[in-house]
Amino acid sequence: MDALINGFALVLTLDTMLVIIAASLFGIFVGAVPGLTATMAVALLVPVTFYMDTTPAIAAIVSTSAMAIFAGDIPGTYLNIPGTPASAAYVTESYSLAKKGRAREVLGINLVCSVFGGIFGTVILIVVAQSLAEVALQFSAFEYFWLAVLGLSCSIFISIGSKTKAFLSLLFGILLSTVGLDMMSGAPRFTFGVPDLMAGVNFIPVMIGMFALNELMNYYSSKSEKKTINIVATDSVFHNVPKHTKRYWRNMLRGSSIGTLIGALPGAGADIAAWIAYAVGKSRSKDKAKYGTGHIEGIVDASSANNSGLSGAWVPALVFGIPGDSITAIVIGVLYMKGMNPGPTIFMDGSGLIYALFIVFIIANLMMLPIGYMAIRLSKFFILTPSRVLMPVILCFCIVGAFAINNSIVDVWIMLVIGLVAYVLAVNGFPMAPAILGLVLGSTVENNFMSAMLRTGGDLTSFFARPISAGLGIAVIVLWCSPLLVKAYRYQQSRSARASS
Amino acid sequence: MRDVVIGIGFVIAGVVTIYTAQQFPTLPSLQFGPSLFPSIVGGGFCIGGAVLMLSGMWQRHRGADQMMQSDLQAAERETTEFETTEFEAIEFETTTFETSTLSASELEGAEPPSGKISWAMILPPLMIVFYVVASPYIGALFAMIIIMFSLMMLRKTVLYVAVAASVGVSLAIYFIFSHYLLVPLPQGVLLGGNLPWML
Repeated sequence: MDALINGFALVLTLDTMLVIIAASLFGIFVGAVPGLTATMAVALLVPVTFYMDTTPAIAAIVSTSAMAIFAGDIPGTYLNIPGTPASAAYVTESYSLAKKGRAREVLGINLVCSVFGGIFGTVILIVVAQSLAEVALQFSAFEYFWLAVLGLSCSIFISIGSKTKAFLSLLFGILLSTVGLDMMSGAPRFTFGVPDLMAGVNFIPVMIGMFALNELMNYYSSKSEKKTINIVATDSVFHNVPKHTKRYWRNMLRGSSIGTLIGALPGAGADIAAWIAYAVGKSRSKDKAKYGTGHIEGIVDASSANNSGLSGAWVPALVFGIPGDSITAIVIGVLYMKGMNPGPTIFMDGSGLIYALFIVFIIANLMMLPIGYMAIRLSKFFILTPSRVLMPVILCFCIVGAFAINNSIVDVWIMLVIGLVAYVLAVNGFPMAPAILGLVLGSTVENNFMSAMLRTGGDLTSFFARPISAGLGIAVIVLWCSPLLVKAYRYQQSRSARASS
Repeated sequence: MRDVVIGIGFVIAGVVTIYTAQQFPTLPSLQFGPSLFPSIVGGGFCIGGAVLMLSGMWQRHRGADQMMQSDLQAAERETTEFETTEFEAIEFETTTFETSTLSASELEGAEPPSGKISWAMILPPLMIVFYVVASPYIGALFAMIIIMFSLMMLRKTVLYVAVAASVGVSLAIYFIFSHYLLVPLPQGVLLGGNLPWML
């Protein structure tokens, strides 16, 4: 109980509340500009949060990301261009409705679904994380090794597009994680004689390079930047919301559950959650034919899912230190910098920090209602901010932000190199999420493997000696075999189908 | 075609990684040590790169084949038209989700491989290099003003907007980071390292 009161005391200060408001506005801005993602917003925010206390720092990240994911719907509705990839699943629906003069109604239901999804995900986080943490307390190096491997494998299997590319992207991240002094032997690896690399590649410049510089290069490689809004919106924002929520409350619940679950899987974030929720919603709907022509139902599922995915991603991040998406990957880096080790002990220390985090989640999501309403009314202002003025500003932010983490120019070089590599990879269809996960989890996998090996004298069978460890190990093996199993099943089915015809 | 080049790139990177890793020491009690994980990654690069390369070559090969056969197919199409349309109708249901997810990855910023890429994408990296080289002399503030102003003008911003925005925002960023967050941004030797608020 004391911890809970402490938590409230940490959150309900003027500083934290101001940070939440400022971060929400920042989130809207970044989310509403097409080409700038929620992950980028968080990566740019980190150099500033670095100088804050832990609670406001986390509050800033939570509110920025939640707001950015919602704000991605605004240009989606008005311009048919998603502001963040997470809104891509339902832009067709939103835009078709906007053309019929229902833009604000769409954004109103988007906002309510986002708030509902975010709070739903938070409730799951509160309930599940605590009990999972008790299980996680019994984990040793063996279990953490398998868990990290499972997380890395998930990031490949759940990725969109070529699995080979996802695999290579993951390896690239793991390779980055091996730079620096080896934990076991103290031998320098891939440092090329640069003293700044001894401690390893700093995480934040890598994120800024991967998500911000990469997007900037994308922007400058494109030629046109015409943004004209031909949509007139005079309808009411919230007038039809009760009607829709009453009709589609099942969709909200289903979308939020799917979102939380997908979010909790390592490597899959809000964007994949939205696509899957949209697809599931469509397959279960009574009026499938209306999908794609401007149907509120299609928006409800996915719009709830992307925000709940955001909260869901925090479950494995807090309990095991395994990020659920690229945003929580950044969060884990921030927590380490603040001297907090993500893992089950975070729930037991009694400082109230974990409660503060939960409260921040609820407040940040509730705060979306008024700030989001304002954003909907001022949509045009957010959308029409010219990118040609904004992008150079962001570039300077990237440079100064990367420098500010260690006051080292080496970090600016790291950002540059990683940005170039990420650009080449992303243009050729390599997903970025596995690389981030590889960077975060690479050292977890390696250190746990090496310490387990040292303890057992190199006996590989010991990874299957403990029950939970064996279970996780088998799960990994099954996951790796699943494409073969699916193929075999399909082959069997097509054969039997052919035989019967 | 690009996949083939990138695949070769990964194979080379893999070989270099493995070669570098061989020079790391091993632990006395075990057969392996710091070189184990980099070697696994290097091996993975080689395998993944080879797969990418081969599938790229195969696709290219198939593409060339298709070009040659397109005339033949056109003739054949008439006869099979009924069958294919029916087949497509069935296929459509199952692939809607896959195609929609594919378009998602394109929207994330990945250009379609066939699209031509403008060389202007090199501007942000060049500006970063400019900052690193120039900021010790002219200071972070002026470096940022120059970067913002030139990038804005390259995209044909109205002159007074570009001047106002680049100067105003640079001052704001400089002030926030150097004064409020106490980050020692380079001041440069141009003004003798004495900007008014950095005493």
